[in-house]
Amino acid sequence: MKPKVAFFDFAGCEGDQLQVANLEEELLTLLGQVKVVSFREVMKEHSDNYDIAFIEGSCTRLQDEDRLKQIRKNAKIVVAIGSCATIGGINCIRNYKDLDEVRKTVYGENAKLFDTYAARPIDAVIPVDAYVHGCPIDKDEFLQVVKSLLLGKKPDIPTYPVCVECKKNENVCAFERGQFCVGPVTRAGCNSCCVNEGTVCWGCRGLVDNPNENAQKEVLIKNGLTVDDAIGKFRLYFGWQERKR
Amino acid sequence: MDEIFAETKSDPYYFEKRKSSIIIGVNIQKMSKWCFAPFMGCATIEYGYDLMLTDLGNRYAINIGSEKGEELLEKYAKNVTNALARDIQLVGQKKREIMYMSQQKFDFPPELIPELLSKSYEKSAFWENHSEKCLACGSCVLVCPTCYCFDVKDNPDLSLARGERIRTWDGCLLEDFAKIASGENFRATKPTRYRHRYFKKGKYLYDRFGFISCVGCGRCSSNCLPDIANPVSLFNDMYHQIRDKEMLATAATTPEVKIETEGNIDYVPKLATIVKKVPMTANETLFELRLNDGSELGHKPGQFVEISVFGIGEAPISLSSPPTKKGTFELCVRKVGNVTSKLHTLNVGDEVGVRGPFGTGFDADFLKGKDLLFIAGGLGIAPLRSLFNYVLDNRKDYGNVILLYGCKEPRELLFSSELLALKNRTDVEFKNTVNWCPENEEWAGNIGVITTLIPQVDFDPEKTWTIVCGPPVMYKFVIADLKAKKVPDDHIILSLERRMKCGVGKCGHCQINQIYVCKDGPVFNYSKIKGVPEAL
Amino acid sequence: MKKPNINVEVHHVTRVEGHGNIYVNVKDGIIEKCEWNISEAPRFFEAMVAGRNWNELHHITSRICGICSIGHTLASLRATEAAMGIKISDQDLKLRKIALHAENLQSHILHLGFLVLPDLMGVGSVIPLASSNPEEVKTVLQLHRLANEMSNLLCGRTTHPQRLIPGGFSKIPSLKELKELKKKLQDSVPKLQAVAELFKSVAPKLPDFQRETEFIALTKPDEYALYDGDIASSDTGKAPASEYLAFTNEYIVPISTAKRAKHARESYMVGALARLNINFDRLSPLAKKTAGMFGLKPVCHNPFMNNIAQLVEVVHSVEDSIRLIDELEAAGLQSQPDYHQPEITVKAGHGVGAVEVPRGILFHDYTYNQKGVCTKANCVIPTNQNHGNIELDLKALLPQVLDKTEKEIELSLEMLVRAYDPCISCSTHCVRVHFV
Repeated sequence: MKPKVAFFDFAGCEGDQLQVANLEEELLTLLGQVKVVSFREVMKEHSDNYDIAFIEGSCTRLQDEDRLKQIRKNAKIVVAIGSCATIGGINCIRNYKDLDEVRKTVYGENAKLFDTYAARPIDAVIPVDAYVHGCPIDKDEFLQVVKSLLLGKKPDIPTYPVCVECKKNENVCAFERGQFCVGPVTRAGCNSCCVNEGTVCWGCRGLVDNPNENAQKEVLIKNGLTVDDAIGKFRLYFGWQERKR
Repeated sequence: MDEIFAETKSDPYYFEKRKSSIIIGVNIQKMSKWCFAPFMGCATIEYGYDLMLTDLGNRYAINIGSEKGEELLEKYAKNVTNALARDIQLVGQKKREIMYMSQQKFDFPPELIPELLSKSYEKSAFWENHSEKCLACGSCVLVCPTCYCFDVKDNPDLSLARGERIRTWDGCLLEDFAKIASGENFRATKPTRYRHRYFKKGKYLYDRFGFISCVGCGRCSSNCLPDIANPVSLFNDMYHQIRDKEMLATAATTPEVKIETEGNIDYVPKLATIVKKVPMTANETLFELRLNDGSELGHKPGQFVEISVFGIGEAPISLSSPPTKKGTFELCVRKVGNVTSKLHTLNVGDEVGVRGPFGTGFDADFLKGKDLLFIAGGLGIAPLRSLFNYVLDNRKDYGNVILLYGCKEPRELLFSSELLALKNRTDVEFKNTVNWCPENEEWAGNIGVITTLIPQVDFDPEKTWTIVCGPPVMYKFVIADLKAKKVPDDHIILSLERRMKCGVGKCGHCQINQIYVCKDGPVFNYSKIKGVPEAL
Repeated sequence: MKKPNINVEVHHVTRVEGHGNIYVNVKDGIIEKCEWNISEAPRFFEAMVAGRNWNELHHITSRICGICSIGHTLASLRATEAAMGIKISDQDLKLRKIALHAENLQSHILHLGFLVLPDLMGVGSVIPLASSNPEEVKTVLQLHRLANEMSNLLCGRTTHPQRLIPGGFSKIPSLKELKELKKKLQDSVPKLQAVAELFKSVAPKLPDFQRETEFIALTKPDEYALYDGDIASSDTGKAPASEYLAFTNEYIVPISTAKRAKHARESYMVGALARLNINFDRLSPLAKKTAGMFGLKPVCHNPFMNNIAQLVEVVHSVEDSIRLIDELEAAGLQSQPDYHQPEITVKAGHGVGAVEVPRGILFHDYTYNQKGVCTKANCVIPTNQNHGNIELDLKALLPQVLDKTEKEIELSLEMLVRAYDPCISCSTHCVRVHFV
C-alpha cells in the first residue's frame, strides 16, 4: 500500500515545492512509491487523509498555528522542508526589528488579517519528525529523506559543518580569498554548492547542533569584518536558532 | 598508508587503487610558512615514488624510482637525456637546501613527541585551552595526507530494492565520529577529540607501526580558521609546560598487538536467513540465523559479526551462542538505531547480510581447569552467554562456575527461562539482581546493583578468572570490588564496546590508543589495558 | 429562465503559486459580491533589507520568490548597480539575458504543463495525465529539465541563483558548455512544436472573453525587452524605468494582504500578453509563427490568451538564447578567474532596476548610504499589478457564465485566475497599510 503524502505551504517563496517539481522524470518514479493526495500548487484534488505531510514556509501569525496543529493531527509523519520551515529562514531577519517600526500603520477593523508575530520554524509549534534543510532544498537530499522514511529509518542528515564538503570538493576557502563565510558553523548536506559556484556559504541550512559561535565570530572579525556585520551574518538565517540559545 | 591498509589483512580496494596509481613527486621548491617537513624527516624522500622531479631552473632532473616510472619515461617523455654529474650535484644541493627552509621550529628533538604525549594525556587544562576555539569543522583532518578514517553508508535507489554501499571520508574531529546508536559518544567533547588527533598521529600509530604519522606538510595549520591546529606550536607548548613542571612519566602500558599481513579482507557480506525469532523483552529479540551457503560460522565465544540490513546499513552484534551449537548461530539484538530497529521488523525466512566473525574472542582453551566467575550487566549477558554455554557444553573441563547477572528491572531480564533453569543445577551457581523493582511487578530476589552480588558468593581469587561484560559505567565499580577481593589484574577479562564500522581495523572509528577494539579486542585482559587512558 | 442563486467560495485557489480566494455571491441573478481576495501571510521584505549591506540585498530579495528568483536577483542587482554606478561587461550582459530566458522558459513550461493543461484536458492535475498522455507529459518534463539545466549552467541553480553577483558573475560557463547548450536548445525545437500542437488541439477550450484594458511592459527599439528597457503603456506611451512610481501607484484594499496598482484606467495588466501586445514585432521568427498558429496578434484583450502568449514566449526564449550564444561565440568568450569578485567602489546612491519576469514587469528600488547600507527599499511585483485587473475580469466574466452549473462557474473563474499565472507569495512581500 503506497503511503499517502500531502504538501502544505506557509510563509515562504514556494521554492522548495518547486524543487520537488524539478525532480522531472524522477518525480514519476517517486509517484510509483507514494500517492500524492494533496499538493495545492499542482493539483485540484485535496484530501485530509494522508500519512506524510511535507510543510514549507514559516509560521508567522497566530492563525497559522491552528492550521499546523490540524496537519499534525492528520499526519503520522510531519516533514519540514526548506529553511523557512526547518529553522525559520530569512523571515526571521525582521524579528530583530522593532515590531512597531514594522507596523507603523493604523490597523482598521481588519487587523486580524494583518496580525503578525515573530516568524518561527514549524517545530516551534508542532513536533516535527524529519527535516530537509536548505534554501532551497536540494532535491537529492529530499529524495534521500523520502527513501529513508519509506524504508523506516531515520534520515542520515549530517551533524558536521559545510567545511567538510568544501574540503572534499577541493574548494579554495573563502577566507583565503578575502571573503566572509559562515560555513564552519553551518550544517552540511548541500555539498557546499554555493562555494562550488564561486561564492560563500550564507548559512541557509542552519547552525550545526553544537556550534562554536564565538570562535566563528572571532574568525570573521579577525579577517576584517566589523562586529556589526558579523552579528548581521548570524542574523541572516540563524535568527531563530540564536535566540533559542 | 600502505602499511596501515595492509596490516590486519589487506584492504583490497585500497590496493587496487594503489596498484593502478602512478606516483610522480616534485621536490619542494618554495616552502609555505606552515610547513615543517624537514623536522619530520619528510622533506625529501628516497623511495616510494615512480618518478621524482627536481626543478633545476631551465630543466627538471628526474629520479627514477621504479620500473613503472622508467617505462613511463620511455614511452611518453621526449627530450630526456641522462643527467650530467653537474645535474646530480645540483639535485643533492637543492635537497640539502630544503632542509633549512622551514620557518617553523621545534624547541626540542621531534623524536620526543611520543614521550611528551604519553605524559600529557591527563592534562585537561592544556587540551581545553588549545581546543577552545575549535569549530569541529573537520578541515584539519580532511586536508591531512595521512588521515585515512572512513565511513560506510548504504544508499538505496528509488526502487528501494537496489542500491550501493559507499565508502566516504570521515574525520575524528567531527562530533559524531565516536557516537553509537544508543547516543553514547565516546569522545563527546572538543578537547577529547582534539587530543585524540594528536595522540593518533604522534603516539598511537607510533606504538602500533613504529612511525609518527605526520609528514609535516603544515596543511592543517594553514587551513585551520581559528589557528589552533599547528602541531609545532602545540608540541612546543607541551614541551615547555612539561619541562617547567618536571612531571615524571608514568608511561601507559601498551598492550601488544598482533600485526598480520596476509590475505585480503572480504567486505562483501554473506547471506543468512532468519530461522527463529524470539522476542525476549520490549526492546530485545533473540534471532537465530543460518548461513545460506550451509557453512558453519566457525566463531569463537566473544566474537562479533556485522549484520547488514540492506538499504539501511550495518551493525556490529555480539554472538550469543557457543560454537558447539552447530548449523545456526544466535544474536541477541537490542532495538536502538536504524539497523536494529529494522531488524526487529524482519521475520523468519527473511534474509540479512553477515560479515565476520570478527575480533578476539575469549580464550576458552586457556580457561580450562580454572574456576570461572561471570559478571554480566544488562545486555552484557548476550556476549557472555556464548562462552557460558560453551562452558556448560564442556562442563567437566572447567572448575567452579558462578554467573552473576544484573539488570535494571525485572521485565528487562534476558534469557529468563534459560537462566532460571540454572537454579536447578548443582554444578553452577547463579545469582541475579535488579537495580529496582517497580510497584506493579513481582520480584522476590535481590534488589541492588550488580556489585551487591559479589560479596554473596565465595570464590578463591587465586584460582578464579572473572569475565566481565556490561555498560561502560559498570566496569570501574565491578573492577574496584574485585580488586578489593584481591583478584589479580590478569585474572580479569573484559569485553568492551566502541563504535565499530568496518569490523576489520581499517576505518578508525573504534580506535582507542593504538588498539582497534574490533581487531585487537573486544575481549581484553585487564592487566593489559588498565593503564590505557581511553579504555575504561 | 430562473434567476440563479450562486454562492461560490474558492478557498486557496489550486494550481496557482500562493494563496488567493475567490468569493462570489449572486442572489436572484444580481451579483452581490465578486471578490479576488489575498490572504497570504505578509513577509515584510522591504523591512528585512533595510540596514543590510549592498552585497547582501540580491541574496535576500531572491527569496521573495522561488520560481522567479533569477528575475528578482537581476532586478535587485540592476537597482544596486544603478545606485552605485556599477557597469557590467557586454559579455555579462548577454549571459544575464540568457539566464532570464532560462527562467522564462522554466516558469512558462511549468505553468502551461502543470498548472493550465489539466484544465484544458479536463483533469485535476498533471498526475493522471502521466498515465493517459505519457508522451506529452514526458515532452513537457524534458523541456522543463532543459530549462533547469540552462539555469544551472548560467546561474548555479534555478532557485536562488548563486552566480549572479553585483558587477557580474562569480563563475561563468565555458564556451564548450555554451555550445553544448546551444545544441540542446536547437534539438528542443521539435519538442516545442509538439507542445504547440498539443495546445492548438485544446485551445478551443479557452473562453473567448474580451475586456479592454491597459497593458504595461518594458520596451526597447531593437529587441523583445526582458532584461532592460523603458516602461511602455499601451495607453500613454513610454517613460524611463526610474519613473515607475508614476505608473504603478500602489494602493491597499481593506480585505487583501496584497497591494494593487493602477495607471491610466482602474487597473492594468502585465505579463506575457502585455509584452506581446506592446513588442510583437520584436519577437523571434519562429515565435511569431507560433503566435500565428493561434491567430494571436496585437492588441489582444482576452486574458485567457496570456497562456498562449506564454507559449509564444517559450519559443522566443529558445530562439533568442541560440542567437545570444552565437554572438558570444563570435566575440570569443573572455574567461574569468574562479571565485570571481568584481571590484566595486561603494558609494551612496539611489537606483531602480526594472526587469520583465515571467509574470510581468518587476521593479526594485534601493537607496544606499555612503557605507553601502540600504536605507530604503521598494519592490513592485508583477502580480500586485495584476490583482486589480483580475478582479475586474472576474466581475466581467461572471455574468457571461451565470447560466452554467456552479461547478462550471467555479472552473471558469479559476481558469481566469490561472491564466494570469499569479505569484501570490511574491505579491505579499510587504504590507504597509494606510487607511484613507
